[in-house]
Amino acid sequence: MKQLLLITDGCSNVGISPVVAAAHAKAEGITVNVIGVVERGESISSAEIEIEEIARAGGGMSRIVNTRQLSQTVQMLTRKTVVTTIQQAVNRELRQVFGAESVEALPPERRGEVVRVIDELGESSPLRVALLIDTSASMRPKLAAVEEAIRDLVLSLQSRSGRSEIAVFHFPDSEDGDGCVCDLDWTDNIAGVKRILTRLSMRGTTPTGPAMMQVIDFFRQGDYGRTIRGETDGMIGEDVV
Amino acid sequence: MKTSSELRLAPGTVVTGKWKRGRYRVERLLGEGANGQVYLVEHGRRLYAMKVGGDAVDLQSEINALRALAARRRRAEPFLLAVDDFVHADGAEYPFYIMRYVRGSALHEYLQREGADWFPLVGYNLLGKLAELHEAGFVFGDLKRENVLVGDYGRVELVDFGGATAFGKGVRQFTGLYDRGYWNAGSRTAEGSYDLFSFAVLCLHLFEGRKLLQLSQTLLPQNRSPAELIRLTDGHPALKPFAGWLKQALRGEFASAREAAAAWQRILYGGGVKPAPRRRSSAGWAAGLFACTMLALAAAILWLMTEGVLPAGLS
Repeated sequence: MKQLLLITDGCSNVGISPVVAAAHAKAEGITVNVIGVVERGESISSAEIEIEEIARAGGGMSRIVNTRQLSQTVQMLTRKTVVTTIQQAVNRELRQVFGAESVEALPPERRGEVVRVIDELGESSPLRVALLIDTSASMRPKLAAVEEAIRDLVLSLQSRSGRSEIAVFHFPDSEDGDGCVCDLDWTDNIAGVKRILTRLSMRGTTPTGPAMMQVIDFFRQGDYGRTIRGETDGMIGEDVV
Repeated sequence: MKTSSELRLAPGTVVTGKWKRGRYRVERLLGEGANGQVYLVEHGRRLYAMKVGGDAVDLQSEINALRALAARRRRAEPFLLAVDDFVHADGAEYPFYIMRYVRGSALHEYLQREGADWFPLVGYNLLGKLAELHEAGFVFGDLKRENVLVGDYGRVELVDFGGATAFGKGVRQFTGLYDRGYWNAGSRTAEGSYDLFSFAVLCLHLFEGRKLLQLSQTLLPQNRSPAELIRLTDGHPALKPFAGWLKQALRGEFASAREAAAAWQRILYGGGVKPAPRRRSSAGWAAGLFACTMLALAAAILWLMTEGVLPAGLS
């Protein structure tokens, strides 16, 4: 299962539309969830429509929350998406086996066993969640809450029985302002990571769409992240050996 | 996805089950849980609680936990009475289940009204409920004040099983303040000690609520720790006798809820008296009782024999 979780607080203003990018993600089997994060008293009504549309195009869900609710929301959206993904797969099976359209179409007494299977698969299927963080100027005061939410998510994922990994990206990147930076390659443990979001750019653009396209590409090619990260050749060399 | 928060059933609405055709008249909204709303309903002149969910799979997970629990306590009055769907006037279908209506108030309200004297007993009853659920293979998960109903004479009922999780899985639903992970005190894997940690925080919330909330609001995430919570365990007179117990629960030292309940019970009646002499005296008392019983039995047999009621062959 693949998920992309976008955390932002504004509209994109550079490059490909994030709604189109989300539709690309969905075509690649990646579910896109979006959280719009606000400070108390702040309104982002202009961005709300875009946020909702990105999630719809990406087959996921969206929520507008304040920084205090962020951890809980990240955790909840991830879990719900896992269940929904499994449910869609199970529904396909149901059509073949029972001729029922969905779990809901089964009589209540036959749901118990099916839901037990859904719960079991939801716990044990491998899961990869890429978090894409908007670090443009207005997001800066909220980044501490974002870091906390990421750590909290890892804690929840560690209690799953299936293999669970996250990767973290932020945008805009420091070079040309229309891509993203990989802060954390696929991992299941961030205990040793002091700060997750580093090397933040001072540029003011919000290239949400292009950044999403890069993350989709990262999903496709497992080692693409190392190139974005611009790290030593040694790492790639190790993989070749 | 349908969200049940959009649903409002007005008093007087009659809900008819799609599959079993049971009719339930809505009296009023009782409360709102994570997976849906709970209404007070009337059916065949009796009152029940009806939980309506927005999502059939979420609600069914809850029902699975309730069924597992019911299978364990066959003698008890059934808690789960019917499971069905209904079609709302707006065309959407909602899954629901009917459960026994538990008259009672939320834990903190009960203690406020009836007094802290009830706390040790209510705590013991709650631990018993948790132990029972654990023995059925589930962890409650989302233990908090609102999810504990207390009825007459401190009888306890757990409500809202939305967080109930099979042992070994990731806890499905929890509340930050009560969550072991939030306090950097362990994983979110469903195990007995997870609920016991929440139980300990619940005790702190009841008597040191202000300080607890202050801790959660002022500490940096990386500085939250069980040690901070342990500092709150012996400040309040109602908690003081249980300080050692709470410390063990916060550190995850109890092997099971049953063991934790037994430890709680010792505090309840021990009053700090050393257990060794008590045990001897109680054993002596039991031995004395046994001797008396045997004597009475012998006398009875003797009497029956002399009266000729028993066949002589028996002697």
